[in-house]
Amino acid sequence: MSTLIIIDQSPYGSWEGREALDMAFSLAAFDQPVSLLFCGAGVNWLRKGQDAGKIQQKSIERNLAAAPVFGVEALFADRRACDQYGLAGTDLLDHVSITDVGPDFTGRFDHVAFAG
Amino acid sequence: MSKSLPEQTRTPAPAGVFTLVITGAPYSSQAPSTALHFARAALAANKRIDRVFLYGDGVHLASSLSAPPSDELNLSEAWAAFLTENSIPGVACIASALRRGLVNEAEMHRYELSASNLREPFEIAGLGEWVDSAASESRILYFHKGG
Amino acid sequence: MITFRTLHILNKSPAHGRYSLCLSAIGPEDGLLLTENGVLAVTQPLGISTERCFALAPDLEARGLSAQISRNQAVSFDDMVDLTASADNVISW
Repeated sequence: MSTLIIIDQSPYGSWEGREALDMAFSLAAFDQPVSLLFCGAGVNWLRKGQDAGKIQQKSIERNLAAAPVFGVEALFADRRACDQYGLAGTDLLDHVSITDVGPDFTGRFDHVAFAG
Repeated sequence: MSKSLPEQTRTPAPAGVFTLVITGAPYSSQAPSTALHFARAALAANKRIDRVFLYGDGVHLASSLSAPPSDELNLSEAWAAFLTENSIPGVACIASALRRGLVNEAEMHRYELSASNLREPFEIAGLGEWVDSAASESRILYFHKGG
Repeated sequence: MITFRTLHILNKSPAHGRYSLCLSAIGPEDGLLLTENGVLAVTQPLGISTERCFALAPDLEARGLSAQISRNQAVSFDDMVDLTASADNVISW
């Protein structure tokens, strides 16, 4: 059973994204195949150079960089959303694949979920 | 369904077991109410619900301290009664719950908090409960906030 | 009963970002079930055939929208159980 967790909320302004990441890491910890898709404002999670110290939050960039180490199979970013938020391939964290989201993409997974 | 619908193309076995995940909070979203209607209809159709998992803001449903006006449905109470009557486990995610001030007695003592407020029969447990559903044959349905 | 490859359950109004994301993910063998604020979609052009599109009757009624959709498309919670049980996959947007 392969799972796709979708994050469409921007980072730091809400907790939904962090809780989505917890879901992905939990599946990976139990050796369940899981990938992450960032779309809408969620692609801003993937921007290099985040420093959330002054808003008293933990940087998400470090969590995401560790995703492959924890067994998350792939990180995908929606192409349209990247264009919308001015994110070129070089602005994105490592290990992120840009993809076109549509029925062919979501149909590859048995279980597709949002955190909220 | 009794409606006239297009010819079917495949006949996989329909899902018999559901896991319901509620992420929308009561009184800020319709999610707990929609989920309860669905749950009642599922049992009436002889489906099984193996667990109800509360995640994110959904954990507020397990609070024993909500006191809506008497002419409004008390969603926490209604859900608790449904779970008890049908012996369905109701599990609030521990990480979501502790962040939002929803604790049972064990967590109250562990964190030296002044009170506990988890409504019976809800339990507090980790995301592993949800992973267990994801790894099983259960069909997981999510009830998020609308908007 | 028709079996959908993916049943998309949409509870967001057209003003929500996830609304258009959901519509863009609907494939030719998929179905759409509108619930809660999602039923407001019946006031909009959806580009999906009526036999693949359903809306939860209590949510339509609550919002005064029952007349905006054919009787076959307005479904009960019992129907929702059938739809979600029989689809190969379900995505709750």
